[in-house]
Amino acid sequence: MSVRMLATFLLGGVAALDATPVAQTLLSQPLVTATVLGALWGNLPLALEVGIVLQILAASTLPVGARTPEDYAVGGVVGAGVALALGSQQPFEVSRNASALLGVLAGVIGSVLGVPLLKWQRRRNEGLSRWCEEALGRGEEGALAAAQRAGVVLSFATGACLTAVLVGGALRGLQGLAAHESLRLARAWALAQPLWIGLGLAQLLHAFVQRRLTRAALFGIALLAGWLVLMVSSQ
Amino acid sequence: MNGGRLTRWDRWSMALRLALLQATWNYERQQGLGWAWALKPALDRFYPDAERRRARLTEHTAYFNTQPTLASLALGAVAGLEEQRAAGAPVDAAAVARVKSALGSSLAALGDRLFWLTLRPVAACVGLVFALNGRWFGALAMWACYNWIHLGLRVAGVEWGYREGPEVLGTPLRARLEELVRGLGALGAALIGLIVATVLVPGGEPRPMVFQVLLAAGLVLGMLTAQRARPSPTEWALGIGALCIVAGWIR
Repeated sequence: MSVRMLATFLLGGVAALDATPVAQTLLSQPLVTATVLGALWGNLPLALEVGIVLQILAASTLPVGARTPEDYAVGGVVGAGVALALGSQQPFEVSRNASALLGVLAGVIGSVLGVPLLKWQRRRNEGLSRWCEEALGRGEEGALAAAQRAGVVLSFATGACLTAVLVGGALRGLQGLAAHESLRLARAWALAQPLWIGLGLAQLLHAFVQRRLTRAALFGIALLAGWLVLMVSSQ
Repeated sequence: MNGGRLTRWDRWSMALRLALLQATWNYERQQGLGWAWALKPALDRFYPDAERRRARLTEHTAYFNTQPTLASLALGAVAGLEEQRAAGAPVDAAAVARVKSALGSSLAALGDRLFWLTLRPVAACVGLVFALNGRWFGALAMWACYNWIHLGLRVAGVEWGYREGPEVLGTPLRARLEELVRGLGALGAALIGLIVATVLVPGGEPRPMVFQVLLAAGLVLGMLTAQRARPSPTEWALGIGALCIVAGWIR
């Protein structure tokens, strides 16, 4: 196993930590992890292509209320990791697009598969919580620190292992497909990329605008002004 | 009785420990254990007697849940109450629990809107504007944009909560945070416009017509599906991916 692959698995653990148990500083967001992985694998453009799509989808997924949202922390690492590992084996533009498509799909599937594991961790933490309270009752004050440490280790290990299993499994299953069907997959990427970006941006816009005319107008003005500036600057 | 007062270092230490508020998040007590962990420096200061300290710690492992950044305000306020309690003021466990519960729910309502529904998507949009132009520092911009408020409030919140006590949200702070939510919401809408323009004309080179039509179709689909919670955007994305693979195969 290469050092880059090992670092990818460890980043999965770090992302899982940042998402909920430790600090929540957005290090776990797909754009951040994809940029780190892009630098690590030496292919920033491919990492950014995957990271952008996953980031837009992640931003429209909200951890509010009782719902356990999709785990885009691990999903982001899996998506960029799979795309970069597949892309490193094929130097052509077409295969780069095929890798991006498979990476985004692996990331989205990874984010869905991460949900039952998050729930499992939370149930484990219930046991930890009960144990800690009993230990405090017995006079063991250090139990609080021990329980916190155990929660952090469990989360890191789960994130790193899930990343390893998903990236390993995806590479095993998709390597042949990416090599032999890259043209078809690249065509699918050309269709899926704008649809995914549009879908996610619309969800975000809906959340921002909230039926307020002023904000809808701001969106329209920014779109028009941005488009004009970009068109004029290219002349 | 102990007349100890919280030092600046104690409050700093509590703010740092607040980073682990959700380390053992669970369905039963939610942030209970993390809350007790964050409050421990204050309890260590107020209760040198180990037995009383452990009793207070056990009380604080009870159910608690709020938005993790704004929890700093509640933590400071409750530390102030515990200080009065240790000094012999008529504050009992039920009063502390009531303040925790009241502050927890109001901070959650405000914090969810500020951080999850507004600041996080706005920070993502800032990062995307740069990343869409191929800039590596999009991720850094996103991280910095979020954390100057997130980390700032996490540290300053303990101070404010300690100073203002349980009325911390009755002060002009709530009005300022509400104003921030409104301002960020408007900024977010403008940033989405800028992102759509960047996606359509990256680097001043217009995308092919097929791409533009598909982007518009995605926007329309997104607007229609945003009206309902189910299927989620992720489920829609999976469906779109599957359909595009089929279309790519048969085209």
